[in-house]
Amino acid sequence: MGVRAALRRRAVARPAVLLAAVPGGTPSRLAVERAVRAAGWPLVEGPAAADLLVVAGRPAPGAAGWWDELYDRLPGPRARVSVAEPEHAARALSAGRDLLRAAGGAAARPARPSGRHGGPGPGGPVVAGPVVAGPVSDHLPLAERGDDRDGLRLDVLRLPLGPVLLDWPAGLVLRLALQGDVVVSATMDPPSPAPAAGGPPFWDEPWLRAARGEPVARAAAARRLCAAHLDSVGRLLGVAGWAALAGSAHRLRDGLLTGADPAAVRRGARSLVRRGERSLTARWMLRGLGRLPTALARRAGVTGPALAAGGDAYDRFRCWLAEIERSAGLLTAPGLLGAGERVGPRGRLGGGRPPSAALLDVLPRLVEGSEFGAARLVVASLDPDLDELSRAAAHG
Amino acid sequence: MSEWQPVFVVLGVALAGVALLYAAGRWLAGPAEPAPAGAFAGGLAPAEHAASRFHVRWYAVAMVFLAFDMEMLFMYPWAVVVAEVGAAAVVEMFVFLGILLAGVGYAWREGAFRWA
Amino acid sequence: MAEAAPLWWALALPPVLAVAAAATALAAAPAGHGVAPLRELARRRRRTVAADAPLATLGAVLLPLAAVSGAVVLPLGFRSVSDLAVGVVWFNAMAALAWPAVWLAGWGPNSALSLIGGYRFLAQGLAYEVPHMLALTTAALGAGSLRVGAVVEAQRGLWFVTWMPVAFAVHLLSAAAMAFWGPFDRPVGRDVAGGAAGELGGADRLSFLGGRWLLLVVAAGMAVPLFLGGGHGPLLPAWCWTLVKTAAVLAALLWLRRRLPAVRMDRFAAVAWTVVTPLAVAQALVVAVVVLGR
Repeated sequence: MGVRAALRRRAVARPAVLLAAVPGGTPSRLAVERAVRAAGWPLVEGPAAADLLVVAGRPAPGAAGWWDELYDRLPGPRARVSVAEPEHAARALSAGRDLLRAAGGAAARPARPSGRHGGPGPGGPVVAGPVVAGPVSDHLPLAERGDDRDGLRLDVLRLPLGPVLLDWPAGLVLRLALQGDVVVSATMDPPSPAPAAGGPPFWDEPWLRAARGEPVARAAAARRLCAAHLDSVGRLLGVAGWAALAGSAHRLRDGLLTGADPAAVRRGARSLVRRGERSLTARWMLRGLGRLPTALARRAGVTGPALAAGGDAYDRFRCWLAEIERSAGLLTAPGLLGAGERVGPRGRLGGGRPPSAALLDVLPRLVEGSEFGAARLVVASLDPDLDELSRAAAHG
Repeated sequence: MSEWQPVFVVLGVALAGVALLYAAGRWLAGPAEPAPAGAFAGGLAPAEHAASRFHVRWYAVAMVFLAFDMEMLFMYPWAVVVAEVGAAAVVEMFVFLGILLAGVGYAWREGAFRWA
Repeated sequence: MAEAAPLWWALALPPVLAVAAAATALAAAPAGHGVAPLRELARRRRRTVAADAPLATLGAVLLPLAAVSGAVVLPLGFRSVSDLAVGVVWFNAMAALAWPAVWLAGWGPNSALSLIGGYRFLAQGLAYEVPHMLALTTAALGAGSLRVGAVVEAQRGLWFVTWMPVAFAVHLLSAAAMAFWGPFDRPVGRDVAGGAAGELGGADRLSFLGGRWLLLVVAAGMAVPLFLGGGHGPLLPAWCWTLVKTAAVLAALLWLRRRLPAVRMDRFAAVAWTVVTPLAVAQALVVAVVVLGR
């Protein structure tokens, strides 16, 4: 037992983290990503590869069962922690590792009764956190058939996609109908209201505060804008399978948010932007995806980079890169933000609807008919921020 | 047959290695029975069985591939005898390949390589 | 022709390859993200709802077995475990086993994203396999033999890479594609939450991903006897040259991953068929004419 326990403890020295961000939890998500990178732990795509489930933000009350179900998909040994406040991220992660280490000595989690077998399986104590989800059922219906664009009648697989995916807008749930790997239709679940305790949407904060008459330094707003676009670009590159450049974008973003030196940021941003702009493969892979012409964007009420780009995913990528370089140049700008300056990272703030609402309106139309990977790229190239919407939902 | 003997030895050792891996996993990870779990697509339960009749839109590419794949079977032995047979072998093979490439050109013009 | 290796080479080959694969994985990972076989192994295996678990496990196990079997024809210096008379074809056949392996691993778990990942690999195979077979044939054509030892022997003076550069480039591209590595990693991509590997846990996952690394090492290693002169080289002993060249090829593949975003097959397939395949055929024609002239 001694050797086995020691090996189990050793195995979770750098646990693999499944990060589940909740709408409104952007600061916590960023803090967790930063802490995970600092600790050198891997962030994984799904529960099969995960040891530690980290919930970033405050889940809506009443969603507890859903989180239990997600946790239940981790094979174990496993643990979960939640990070409601960004400053607790590092502590929560090490607490999670301690839970895993403690779990290592004991037997792994007990087998739950499954729908088929009925009776309880062999096993030891529950490792960390109660497991209350219902039995896994295998009585699923088969996919039904529907008309295909090629004039055939083929299986249509209905698939709810999200909300916990890597490089995916936190809280977004797309209900896809797939024929093969092509999206034939997509609808969106209404965003869940954020808990009342949360502040304004993290990425829009400087402009919203300035609109309320608070003094906000222009340099601070530029910092937030640059970080927001770096976050978006990093996620787009992550989905596009360019992990190296996505990593640089995220490192740069974290540096900005923790007060890195403007000159260093400018240098880093310039090198990132050059590499992104020069990549012919990126152009080849993003061209023609999710075309949103200016006229259509304007009619849908889209503002910000998606409108300015006025084209496909590659245009939006280039527009973000240009904005990154521009805002990196404003990191030392003097003066305060005027109350009338209300253009955040995703578009015009204030007024009736947050900018992400318009992005979400056009999203289903843009993904329909595209291959699955292309659809994910389209979502990442729009990068709607559901924090904005969940605030709106909570307030009215 | 002796040149195949080491191949079987390697295969046997590799199989034993994989078996050892699974045994180590079982010893280390606790209950032998795999953990039951729902399929993952972001955390919501799937509405239907995923193992549907998957529409492979690139079936036309598969047809083109099959034509070439069959041809490759001839190309391996051909590569060995080119020097002996001489120019006739080269001419015949590349006329054949040229015909196949013409087919590829036709398939390309018909849009067989664009499916999404 | 290469001399026969003692039988203990056959016993040593799988563990040596495993070490090489682990070292490559370690070199590929950014600092701190090192592969952690122990971490994977200490996790339980998992079975998704209504999964065809044996199929998924078969896929996971098949991948390392195929890679190791393909490696028997790889010469270290001038000796390989078994210098088969049809060595080039044998390597090709074993590498092609990745098709069923990845597809089975994707199909077995009854999960939509994993299924998409499995099918992506088949589409990828349709794009890379024909140019790859043409590249292999070109090397065999240059030597007039399907025996890997004879191919190395034919490069005593001039390495094949110098007069069949296109075939070499195609082989490198295919090595990345068959090991779904780097720009060709969409079958296990992030956008499909791990794809074909997305629902595998514990030993299944380790076997599948380890098999992928093995395949990458073996495919990169195969470039050495086919195009880079095998053990030929000045000063250093032959076995040392093999290792140095293999490491160089692997380093090139690792570098490629850092430089490029992933390539989707709905865009790449057309290029593979209309550009890469004709180029590979033209390369074969050039080599055939040279062989006639000798």
